[in-house]
Amino acid sequence: MTGEVLALLGATLTLLAAVGVVRFPEVMARMHALTKASTLGVVLVLVGGAVTLNHPNDVTSLLLAAALQVLTMPVGANLLSRATYRAEQEGAAE
Amino acid sequence: MITAAFVLLALAALGFGYRLLAGPTLTDRVLGVDGLLIVGMSAITLQAMRTGEGAFVPVAVVAALVGFVGTGVVARFIEGQGQ
Repeated sequence: MTGEVLALLGATLTLLAAVGVVRFPEVMARMHALTKASTLGVVLVLVGGAVTLNHPNDVTSLLLAAALQVLTMPVGANLLSRATYRAEQEGAAE
Repeated sequence: MITAAFVLLALAALGFGYRLLAGPTLTDRVLGVDGLLIVGMSAITLQAMRTGEGAFVPVAVVAALVGFVGTGVVARFIEGQGQ
């Protein structure tokens, strides 16, 4: 039951991220919406799965996926936003 | 409750797919792919919760890793391309 509530919350956050990605007017704003909301969203779904499933293999796999997501999502977003910003600056300078 | 979560994820996938197809810059398309990958990971987890069968759960780990590497590679590509 707890796991299902967590999963529903995570799915709601992912949907909010998608709404932000569709509606925000600018690249950086869209990246902001996706990175923050969907990191928490997918981590909530994965933790919900870890709470619900019984086998230790599944639980550790889901927690590993959640940890990886928390570690890599901000780094990837930082890489992408820095590259986009620099490309924009170069384009403006030319 | 899991069915409701699946419906929400499907709507989110529509939004990300729109951004993937329509997004004016390459960065927007990367955002769309990233979002779809997140939806896929969530869907794998939800299916495992629904059936109680965790055979596909390691795929979520692999998707997390592949998504990060893909984002990094495209970021390098955008930086080198200058646009």
